[in-house]
Order: sequence, then structure tokens, then C-alpha cells
Amino acid sequence: MTGATLGPFTNEPVLELRRAAVRSQLADALAGLDRELPLSVPLTVADGELTGEEILSTDPGEPDRVVARAARAGEAEVAAALATAQEGFRAWSAVSARARASALIRAAAWMRERRLELAALQVRECAKPWPEADADVCEAIDFLEYYARRAIALDAGADLLQVPGERNDMRYAPRGVAAVIAPWNFPIAIPCGMTAGALATGNSVVLKPAEQSPGCGMRVVEALHAGGVPPAALVLLPGEGDAGAALVRHPEVQTIAFTGSLPVGLEIVRSAAEVRPGQLAIKRVIAELGGKNCVIVDADADLDEAVPAIVSSAFVYAGQKCSAASRVLVHEAIADRLIERIVGAVRVLVVGQAEELGTDVPPVIERSAQERVNRYAELAARQGTIAVRAPTVPGSGWFCPPTVAVDLDPSSPVFSDEIFGPLLAIERVAGVEQACDIVDSLPVALTGGLFARDPATVRYVRARSPVGNLYVNRGITGAKVGRQPFGGNRLSGNGTKAGGPDYLLHFVEPRAVTENTLRHGLVV
Amino acid sequence: MSALEADIHRIGTELAGAFPSSARHPVRALDARAMDLASRDRELRAALFRFVDVVPACRSLEDVARHLRGFLEELPEAPPPIAAAMRIADVKAARAALGAAAAAGVKHMAHRFIVGETPAGAIRVLHGLWERGVASSVDLLGEATVTEAEADHYAARCVTALEELSARSAHWPSRPLLEADRVGTLPRTNVSVKISALTPLLRPDAPALGQRDAAHRLRPLLRRAGELGAHVHIDMESLDSREAVFELVLDLLKEPEFESGPSAGIVLQAYLRDSPEQLDAILDWARSSARTPPLTVRLVKGAYWDHELVEARQQGWPAPVFEVKADCDRNFETLTRTLLDARPAVRVAIASHNLRSVSHAIAYNELSGGEPLDLEFQVLRGLGDELQDALAANGFRVRTYCPVGDLVAGMAYLVRRLLENTSNESFLHEQAIGVALEELLAAP
Repeated sequence: MTGATLGPFTNEPVLELRRAAVRSQLADALAGLDRELPLSVPLTVADGELTGEEILSTDPGEPDRVVARAARAGEAEVAAALATAQEGFRAWSAVSARARASALIRAAAWMRERRLELAALQVRECAKPWPEADADVCEAIDFLEYYARRAIALDAGADLLQVPGERNDMRYAPRGVAAVIAPWNFPIAIPCGMTAGALATGNSVVLKPAEQSPGCGMRVVEALHAGGVPPAALVLLPGEGDAGAALVRHPEVQTIAFTGSLPVGLEIVRSAAEVRPGQLAIKRVIAELGGKNCVIVDADADLDEAVPAIVSSAFVYAGQKCSAASRVLVHEAIADRLIERIVGAVRVLVVGQAEELGTDVPPVIERSAQERVNRYAELAARQGTIAVRAPTVPGSGWFCPPTVAVDLDPSSPVFSDEIFGPLLAIERVAGVEQACDIVDSLPVALTGGLFARDPATVRYVRARSPVGNLYVNRGITGAKVGRQPFGGNRLSGNGTKAGGPDYLLHFVEPRAVTENTLRHGLVV
Repeated sequence: MSALEADIHRIGTELAGAFPSSARHPVRALDARAMDLASRDRELRAALFRFVDVVPACRSLEDVARHLRGFLEELPEAPPPIAAAMRIADVKAARAALGAAAAAGVKHMAHRFIVGETPAGAIRVLHGLWERGVASSVDLLGEATVTEAEADHYAARCVTALEELSARSAHWPSRPLLEADRVGTLPRTNVSVKISALTPLLRPDAPALGQRDAAHRLRPLLRRAGELGAHVHIDMESLDSREAVFELVLDLLKEPEFESGPSAGIVLQAYLRDSPEQLDAILDWARSSARTPPLTVRLVKGAYWDHELVEARQQGWPAPVFEVKADCDRNFETLTRTLLDARPAVRVAIASHNLRSVSHAIAYNELSGGEPLDLEFQVLRGLGDELQDALAANGFRVRTYCPVGDLVAGMAYLVRRLLENTSNESFLHEQAIGVALEELLAAP
């Protein structure tokens, strides 16, 4: 691979599940995985391997099923992991950009060969339904392929003004050790993307996967090691919140890539701002946090398109995507009709196990999530009207019935808190202007949607929308690498745009060199 | 030239000679000019279609004018009559007038393709067609089905249509060519049904889900059609729902209750690369089935070509449809021959506006010893009117697909038809711009 030119980037095609022959492979893949469970997720550092059973990940649809047993890193393991990564950095940063890119491309190939197995693991460990799990694996592959290409381009440096007698040059150097702290909702794609971004640019990485999905995190690391990333340049650190906090504090961590909740994100920013003994750099935090994503529906919207798009944006994967729709702001002229149709469409959503094709709403990730969503549903019932709440959900598993709330008190926390579950609030507005005022009043700005057909309305909303990703006349989830660079603004994140052309800049430091080429009055 | 090619040429020339001259349809000539303008200018075409699409969602005439202006503003350069319309839209007093004119234009265009708001309202047109020797199939346009209530409502509309059409058509005069082939009688009442409207649960990755849900609405419909002696034709839509539709229909028709009726049919889309295998499956089913009357197979090119290509490109999948028109046309002819050879296990309906494809079917039927009455042609209301008249005049059975519904519901259908009619790949477009008959009839 090294030295060979890479073709232009294209997205990895998702499985064509509308074809019976493609669907028929899934059950085997799941059965194959089940035979291997539970997976053992070790903690490997320079002086040996630490195994343990302190962290158990379980199937949210069948909580008695243990998916992975993972070691749990403490202070000592964090320090050991960082020592390894520090050493790994010296070797990996010396590898050429092209060779690093080749390792990423090989990791992508490793994943491609095992894509069903990797999707099956997400079905079990995170109750991610097949189509979503498959898309997650494709996104991971996309990150590897895309960042490999971007890193080669970035390695060429920046164009500078040149005048006679001096040679100006700016290159992008890796920053050092990056701590990647990943979420469980895109259990392969997001850790893979953040890690690949750091590695592609020559940083070494300590990856702490979410405690709910250590098995998936392990597979990301295996892929990259198999692709040729040295073990010391990428260390898997299974652990819980304290391990993440210790990583963030550590003076040798230069960059922190975090995707997760707003409170944790802000705590990371706070902790990272403090300079500790031995620290040689200002830490950089790449944060992708929560949202309160609104879909605006104007009076001229095509409801045949808006209803399915809103329902799937709000309820697919039980609403556990940071991009998921949680509020609909609908023009009062069509509000009754829209609510009636959304309610009817929610009533026929399939609540079921992630492994069943056709399931729209799988269980949420864990008991505490179920409790949280139910709490908000009760709150919505007190502060407004429940327009629909699926009456029954399957017995075992952390299921939450899909729920739509209307006529809520404007001050209800249901309008402001990130609920991260299958609960959608619909409110009437006098028009698009009022809808934009509401969106603009929110402290978060991740994704947003607009259903409208007048080009002037589209221009207006576009100009007023603070969100990182605005989707017009389509669903608001499912960003694709290279097509919809993803990430929010305001308190939703610091504009990092995963899968976009600027993402890698967060992992590098620019170094400019000017050489005098004048010798005895001559340009040499 | 082979015997078949010589026959195709002869038959095509005869049919073309029987086309009514467009000079006799001044209104149609005007529509044709508008469509011609739209086919020549991509940007204008997009603007006009987006406008037509949004008209039913507009709240006032002024709202109509505002949208029209909005779309036209996006054109890089507007043709003179359109620039004039934009200037009018600047004057507040004139906006309502412009809106009214534009809305009327859209309504007029819609009425060319949609025969009435309800089955009862469509009877006059259907009766008129019958008098002229043309059968019909009624398609109930509706909004997308996203809820159970909408699915129930659509099923109820279908039953009402079956009942009303049966009652009213009973008094029509006898038209032997339209009422029987050599296998047996052909119902006067013919309703086309969309499975996507019968269930909100059609999922490409879980066809069984929608299949189960649609089955409990399709069964009563088939039952009622059986009692009334009517024909139910199941339409085909995009590839996303094909498996569910095929399995649903073939499974239900196998049920003992439907062994001797009603008359029913499905659709085969020739633009799909795997349509020959699909046809093999249908024929295996038909040959192993003792069911009477035989299944009718309507062969079409397929109306979701753009959709299929766009979806495949967005997902990175191989295109499921032929991308070259000639490949699709050749496949259409191959499928035609296979279907005609398979009679009487199936009844065959050739649904095409392409003079070559139609002439090919007639020629092959003759060559293989078939009778004209063992072959049916189908055309779309508003698009195939001239071909319809020419076929009827030449003694062929032709059935016109007649959409029924209000303007809101009809918009998706209308836009699809307009896109088709103005596509440069379209046979009708070639015909309209005066491509020589010789070329139109050439082997693909």
C-alpha cells in the first residue's frame, strides 16, 4: 500500500438490506458472535497485560447476557498507559504520513472483512438495530479512509508567500499523546474516528471506551493494530469515569478528544485548563456534546415527507443519537394535521429487540437511562399532554415506550434538557420567525431541521440557524463522512466537524520555518 | 430485415397513421408547448415542478404567487414571459391575480392526468372511454400512508370504488373486445391498488412486516372484488417495496378462498436489471397454480427510474435499473416475448407509450399465432391518449390507467408524470419534437 496513490474518497456502502440474500447473512453473524461471548477486554501496557472482570457490559435487550468483561483502569494503569503512549509517540510521529495513512487503510480493510461481526457486536452490546449498527461500521471505515487521505494532504504543509532570499515553510506536526474518551452510542464509529484523526496526524492515543461498550472499543484497537499501528502508539484503557478524569488531568496528555454529555464535557474543559507540574503544553479539548435538536415545519411543508422523516429522526435507535430530533416547532396552520399524523405514525413504530429487522425502537442502553426517560415522560404528562405513548413494550430489556408530548408549559425542562431517549415534544408556533427565535434562545446548537418549500424561507432559516448541521426537507440524523461534516456549536461542541476537511487540524500544531537563502548578497 | 422487424415497421406505420392530429386539440398543443419549454431548460423545469408540487400546500393566492416568484428567482436567466410574471409579482395588487392564474394553470395540467376527485366524479370520463371502445383501470391517489387510520381509509376507498364502478358500469353497452379474451371474461371494473397505501409498515429491510399488515386489508378487498366480479391490479412502486408486494400478492392469491377469483394482476418493471428472473418466478408460480382466472401481468418500463438511480448513488449500491435506454427497451421486448409465449398461464398487458415496444408486441403476437384479443395494451390517461385512440381504432383492446383523487393527493403522481413527459429520454418527448418515424421504430 505504501507509496501507492489512494483513489478519491467514497463512502463505504451500507448493506443493501432490501435484498433477501443480504439479510439472510445476519442471523449467522449474530450466532457466530454469541458463541464467543463474553469477550474479554484486557488492559495492555508496556510491562504486561492486566485482565479483570470489574466492568461488565451487558445486552440492553437481555440484561442477564454478559457481552464483555473488561479490566478497570485505576490511577496506576492510567500512568502506565501514558508512559507507553509517550514512548509510542516518539516512534509513530517519526513514521511518514503516507505510511501512517496506509496503516489506517489496512485497518479499514480489516473492518470491512469483519463488518457483519462488528455490527453484531453492536447489536448485542448496545442494542443498536442492524441497519444502524451496519451504518456505524461503515462510518468507522469512512473515518479511516477519509482521514488517511486528509492526513497526506495536510502533510504537504501550507502555501506561504515567498520572496527572494528567504524560504518559508509551514508544516503540521503532531501534538503528542491524545486521550480519546468515547461514547457508547456510536460504539465503533466515534472511537474509531477520534482515534484515527489523532493517529493519522502522528499522535499516539490512549483510548478509553465507554464502560457500556468496552467490547466495541477493543475491536477498534484491534483493527488499528492489525493495520500496522504499533501497540505502544495506541493503548486501550478500559475504565470508568475516574480513569477518564485521570487521563484528562495527566500532564503528558496534550489533546483530549471527547464525545459525550455536556456536564462531563464542561468538566473536561475545566480540568484541562489547569496547568499541572511537568506539563509542557496548553491542552486542547475537542468536544462534541449534546443537543436539543429542533425541527421547524412551515405551513407549506410536504407532510408526506415531513412525518416519516421526523418520526425516524426522533425514534430510530430509541432517540439515542446526539443528532436525534427532540422538538418539533410547527406552523399553527398545519399543527393539528401534523400532530395527528405523527401520533399515528408513532403508534405503529415497532418496539423490539435490536436483532429483529424492522425494529424501530430498541431498548435504551441501561437501567438509569430508562429511568431518566421515564422521569421526563412523567414530567411531560404533568406539564402538558401526552399525545401518544406506546402502551406496551417487550418484557425484558431497558425498553422505553416511544412518546410524543404536546401543549407543554413553555418553561418545561422537557424543552431544554437533553433526554436522549424516545420522547418528542411538539409545539405550535405562529411562523418560522418565532421558531427561529426559539432555536436561537437555546444554549445548544447541534443539529436542526427545516421542512419548507419557499426558497426565501430556506434562506431565512439558514441565515438564522446557529446549529452545526442544518438539514432541509430531510431527516436530521445520519451524517456521512465527507458529505455532512458533523459537530455542533455553542455548548454542543467547539466546532470540530468530524468527517470534515478541517477535523485533523485539531490534532496538530503548525510550525513555520523561515530560512535565509541570501549569502554574500546572492540568492543561493 | 427479419420478418419480425418488417412486421414491426408495418404495424408501427399503421398505428402512427391512426394518431389523431394534434391540430385538433388546441389546448393540448398549448400544454405541449409548455412541456417543450420545460424539457429544453433544466433549471426552468426544476423551478416549474417545484412550483406545481407546492401549489396544493399554499394557503392563499398570494401565497401561490410568492412561491412562484421564489422559484423563478432562482433561475439564472428567466425566459421573457417568466420575467414578465416576476415583474407582476412585485405589484401587490397583481399578486393575487398571478396566483390565481398560476393555480388555474396547475389545476388545468392536473386535470389532463387526473379524471376526477372521486370514483363517482370520474364515471362520466370512464363511461366516455368505454363508449369509444376503451377500458379503464382506476387508481386512487392519496397522501402517503403513515398511520393505521390512513391505511384503513385507503382500503375503504378501494372498496367503495369497486362497488360504485361495478354498479355504474353495469349499464354500459356491450363491448365484446373489452369483455373477454379466449380464456374467459374480463371484468369491466378494474381498480389498481398500491400496497404502500394499504399499510404504514412497509420496510425495505423487513418486508414481512408490511406484508402481514397489508394482508389483512387486501383480503377483504379481494373478497369484495370476487363478489362483484371486478379486477384488482396490484401496482408496483420502488424496489424498496418490491419483495413485500410480490410475496404478499402471490401468497394471498394462493389461499383457497381466492382459488377461483377475483381476477387479479401484478406489475413487472422492465427497467430493473433482474426483471427476467422476477418474471421466471412469476411464471413458475402461475404454472404451478390452478387458480382461475389466470394472473394478469402488466409489463411496464417502470416509473421510478430517477428515484432508483439517486438512491443507489447515495448509498453506493449498484444501479438496479438499466442506465441506457436502449438496454431497457431491448429488455422490454425480451420480456414481452416471454410473457406472450407463457399464455394462457398468464394474461398479458403491455403498458407502454413507446410505439416501437407496442408494435413489437403486436408483431410478435401475430407471428406466434396469437389473436389480437389475447393481448391487452395499457396507457396512462393524459400521456397515452393518442396511442390509446390509435390502438382502439385498429381493433386492439386498450385499457387506460385513470387516476382519481384531489389535487393535494394527486401532486406526487402529477409531478412524476410531468417529469416523465419532459425527460429527454422519453419516447413521447422524441415523438413530440418530431423524430422521424423510421427512427422511432428502429430496433433498440
